[in-house]
Amino acid sequence: MSNVVSCIFSWNGLDRAVLGILGCGQRLAKQVEAKHCIVLLGQSTEATLSELAGFADSIHVANHPLLVRYHIETTLTALTQACGTLQPFAILLGNDTYSQELAPRLAHRLGGSAAGDALSLEVKNGSILVNRPVYGGKALAKIALRRSPGVVWLRARAQAPAQPQEHRAEVCALTLSLQPDERIKIISQQSENTSSEVRLEDARFIVSGGRGLGGPEPFKQLQALADSMGAQMAASRAACDAGWVPPTWQVGQTGKKVAPELYLAIAVSGASQHLMGIADAKVVAAINTDRDAPIFSRCQFGLVEDYRNVVGLLQQKLSELRS
Amino acid sequence: MNILVCLKQILDPEIPLRDFKIDAVRCEAQRGSAGLVMNIFCANALETALQFRERHGGKITAISFGDASAEEVLRKALALRVDNAVLITRDNSGRIEPMVAARVLAAAARKLGSVDLILTGREAGDWGEGQTGGLIAEELDCPAISFVEQIAPIASNPRSLEVRRQTDNGIEVLEASPPLVLTITNHEQNVPRIAKTRDVMMAFRQPLTQWNLPELGLDPVSTSEVRAEIAALTIPQKETHCEYVAGESLEERVTAFAQRISAVLTSA
Amino acid sequence: MNRAEATRIVYWNITHIWVMYALLAPTVLIGGHGLYRHVRRWRRGQPEQRFDQPWARLNNVFRHALLQRATRRERYAGVFHTLLFWGMIVLTAATIVVLIDEDFSIRIMRGEFYLWFQSLTVDLFGVAALGGIGLAAYRRLFLKPKQLVYTREATVLLVLFFIILLTGFLLEGWRIAVTNDPWGKWSPIGYAIALVSKPIMSETLLRGAHATGWWFHLVLVFGLLAWAPYTKMAHVFTAVLNLYTMPLTPRGAALKTLDFEKTDSSLGVNSLAAFSWKDLLDFDACTECGRCTNACPANAVGKNLSPRDIILDLQRLSHSRTKLNEPLIGATPSLSEDALWACTTCAACMEACPVGISQMPKIVDMRRYLTMEKAELPETMQAAIASLEARGHPFAGAQYSRLDWAKGLNVPQRSEVKDCAVLLWVGCGGALLERNQKVIRSITQLLQKAGIKFAVLGREEKCTGDVARRLGHEFLFQSLAKENIATFERYQIKTVVTACPHCFNTFKNEYPELGSQFQVFHHTEFLEQLVREGKLNPQPRPNAKVTFHDPCYLGRHNDIYDPPRKLAGMSVKSPVFEMAQKREKSFCCGGGGGLSFVDEHPTQRVNRARAQQAVDTGADILAVGCPFCMTMMEDGVKTCQNGQSGRPMQVMDVAELLWESVHNGQIDEDKKIS
Repeated sequence: MSNVVSCIFSWNGLDRAVLGILGCGQRLAKQVEAKHCIVLLGQSTEATLSELAGFADSIHVANHPLLVRYHIETTLTALTQACGTLQPFAILLGNDTYSQELAPRLAHRLGGSAAGDALSLEVKNGSILVNRPVYGGKALAKIALRRSPGVVWLRARAQAPAQPQEHRAEVCALTLSLQPDERIKIISQQSENTSSEVRLEDARFIVSGGRGLGGPEPFKQLQALADSMGAQMAASRAACDAGWVPPTWQVGQTGKKVAPELYLAIAVSGASQHLMGIADAKVVAAINTDRDAPIFSRCQFGLVEDYRNVVGLLQQKLSELRS
Repeated sequence: MNILVCLKQILDPEIPLRDFKIDAVRCEAQRGSAGLVMNIFCANALETALQFRERHGGKITAISFGDASAEEVLRKALALRVDNAVLITRDNSGRIEPMVAARVLAAAARKLGSVDLILTGREAGDWGEGQTGGLIAEELDCPAISFVEQIAPIASNPRSLEVRRQTDNGIEVLEASPPLVLTITNHEQNVPRIAKTRDVMMAFRQPLTQWNLPELGLDPVSTSEVRAEIAALTIPQKETHCEYVAGESLEERVTAFAQRISAVLTSA
Repeated sequence: MNRAEATRIVYWNITHIWVMYALLAPTVLIGGHGLYRHVRRWRRGQPEQRFDQPWARLNNVFRHALLQRATRRERYAGVFHTLLFWGMIVLTAATIVVLIDEDFSIRIMRGEFYLWFQSLTVDLFGVAALGGIGLAAYRRLFLKPKQLVYTREATVLLVLFFIILLTGFLLEGWRIAVTNDPWGKWSPIGYAIALVSKPIMSETLLRGAHATGWWFHLVLVFGLLAWAPYTKMAHVFTAVLNLYTMPLTPRGAALKTLDFEKTDSSLGVNSLAAFSWKDLLDFDACTECGRCTNACPANAVGKNLSPRDIILDLQRLSHSRTKLNEPLIGATPSLSEDALWACTTCAACMEACPVGISQMPKIVDMRRYLTMEKAELPETMQAAIASLEARGHPFAGAQYSRLDWAKGLNVPQRSEVKDCAVLLWVGCGGALLERNQKVIRSITQLLQKAGIKFAVLGREEKCTGDVARRLGHEFLFQSLAKENIATFERYQIKTVVTACPHCFNTFKNEYPELGSQFQVFHHTEFLEQLVREGKLNPQPRPNAKVTFHDPCYLGRHNDIYDPPRKLAGMSVKSPVFEMAQKREKSFCCGGGGGLSFVDEHPTQRVNRARAQQAVDTGADILAVGCPFCMTMMEDGVKTCQNGQSGRPMQVMDVAELLWESVHNGQIDEDKKIS
């Protein structure tokens, strides 16, 4: 019997992303009648194992000191060893930056195929088919992985979450032989988000600004609006490239993929690359002076106005409605 | 520092949506009215290399594996005064299998010899797979760091580089020793420059090295391998219909808009 | 007393005249050297052809130097300068008369001529000159307008002139007093001075004052003549020369074409050596009047651009520098890069200049250096260049293709028809900017209605290169132009109609040098002609007040003002409301020179300033004739409406107005028939 492996490292709790990966792993394992295994790297506690136990058939744990902090070469070696022993049919990862850089190299080391940004997976004739956006979001491709294991990084939050199962997973300890890799040393891993802020990918409401704002100053106005709505701030690539806002705010093909309940795009034109980042947003609304801006093609409702005339007034109206 | 910058030529991703057509049989985009351009992240990588050489010295070789038209991209790199340019053409067409590209580029790096740093874009604007950089590292058995925004030599250890890269949480700063592969992402500091006109005029007279696959010691099997295939390609149909909020005055329109927003905020 | 013998004794009361002739030598040497230095400086410049068509050139000198036409465009300054100018001309003529009479012994200073000209006319013009000085002094010392340059030299010159003129009258008066000149009354001012002086000054005093005064006056005049070429008074010489050599072509043809085959010299200008002799002459012709900076729309909204200071700084550098290869850009605050990039190339500076200086092309010359030699230009402008290179239009991120606007209109493509009478050049703005697509649709419907056999190029259109050229990328401009010219040749296109004044200007004034051979019309010209020929019948729209904004590239650049106004006027019942700054004084919309690709600081938006001017007319409709103006004015009008009550002002192209008036009229006619 083959295995479907869900990889978890950099544990942040049983969040939406992890549940998505596990959900996908569960369903895939069921479909191909394989065992669903979790490979868990890094320091894991009893509490962690207990939380995960209801979502897989086995959990393979490696609590090596070298895995406490993510180090590309070490983590890759560890995953290779861990997955190698399991000889999986499929290896699933999330869409965090670490997973993105690991997946192709992991596939190479295991002699398999890799694909990423998967919206969904299918299995046909023993091959994994990955559905993902391509050409900057203008088209949808179905990619057939021809080698095994298929290493896929998923749009984790877009996957239906794992369902708790009746049986508990078997916990096994992994013996890994790891050496420190001096070729790369970590100097700092700073977080730009303050601890009180939610990650953009997990945000429920997002207010996003684009090129049309013209500079860093108007973003302060948008921030005030976002704060009043309990929303996170994001931006299009153009605004980040111009240095108006930090690059961590970037949403789009090469930025964050977000899945909020509400995405309010202000002065964002809505190029397909940006729309790729909000494919999973439930409700999209926009304020833009151009009625034919592509962003509106993704919106449920929109306002064709100059943001300068609207933002302050909108904030006022929203607070009136709240009270 | 010997830097090898890998450049990919792709169909212009900025063409309007209405002009984007696909060939459903060959599972690729139609050329149509689109021009051929250098992938933007490759251009960011080239800019990173140019800035590094300006500040810290070194030599830059630009390389491209693709169709004969990829020469244009190398001429652009020559117009930006890279030291050498290498073109490797392929026989087939369609999507370039990242594994094959990595083998070819790694073989070229070996043939060039003493390459310290290989820069690629983080992904290409066509298939967006983001694999080639990492796979080159695997082929050459060296580390790879992705989503890099800036590089600089380390004062205390000139052979090493300080690498700043983007992660979901913020910026990671690493110290890395060549040989090394870095995949570059866009940043306000690496916006691609335009070439000086004189250099553009001169670029066409510069020598261009051309290698074929046998010259790189590659056999047809390893360069025709398929690890993944495009089984189908479709253009998703537009589903949402946007309601443009109406009202006599600005105030009315904003009020209506606010009401709709409020409805989502409270029901979510 | 025989009138035929009326005259006066030259050098009355003066001895040792040889001293005057002796002083003439250093005067001529010093003054002459000053003039020589100017000429030597100009000769350091690159060659340029400016001596063709002498009659046309003399005509310019006649109109603007002699008749002071350009100077009189500004009323106050025009008045005082004309008074001063003509005063000095007549006084100089009077001196020449003395020279002819005294030194050449041709006795013309007699009789009626002496009375009417040498006495009366000269006195009156002397007073006029004094009046001119008075007005000028009042302006410089009390009104203190911002546009002037306040130097000690300028004040000293005014004072010097004043004293020279005053002493001249005093001398005349004292002579008349002592000699009891029978013809004294013919010099009314002198006569009045005589009347006043005689009672209070003894004859000895009068004679003494006269003699001293005479030498004083002479030293001042000779001093002025020697000094003048080293001051802005050199304009007496340089301005005339500059007016003679000023461009005979429209302002739209002001930019030089570079030959990329011969580029051992630099591309663009960043040193005095790279300027042409005509450019160097331009610097020396400047009279520091400040009208160019006054007219500059960028300056008006507070940007760092001052054409006056650019020219004067270059003048100063041209005089002071010995090394001709030192960089100019950044050498002074006025020559900074952001000043150069703020220019919309509207040519208001050139229009305002009374001595024919071409300020704007020098800014573009320096941009050429920045863009082509240094490859450094503001980021959004760079994005426009990159887009031009990659996809043949400057609008990065545009979501339309070249023919989307034509949906449902049955517009023939040139590649699909055998031939066409007229090629409608849509342009990048017209095709790719949503608002402007409506304008193109109106134009095509009008052409169809008028039965014109036209076609469009569709995807075979590439940007004319106007944007590239104004941004200084002459190389890209020429490569785009050559492609378009080849397309035109392939299709044997002879007549082009275009909706964009920038395309129009580039086709008309810039393509011929690169080998094009076709006629081009702006759509307003063409449509106006169709109306005149009866092929289109507009029914005026009642109750709409229209004001018209002259596009710089149609108006100032090509002197076309009337056809768009006529069209606007035909489309509505009331006459066109004019803004104060209209026609050649039109205030730029702020979109030219690549500026429509720049996000300006909110307090420094040229389009907002112009939109306010339009809104202030109280008109309902602002008519435009250019896609850049359309974009800039719609944006500008929106910001003006903020806080204003009343109906918002609509911005419409003249073609849209015309189509409405033709289209609606048609419907009415149909109703009548049934």
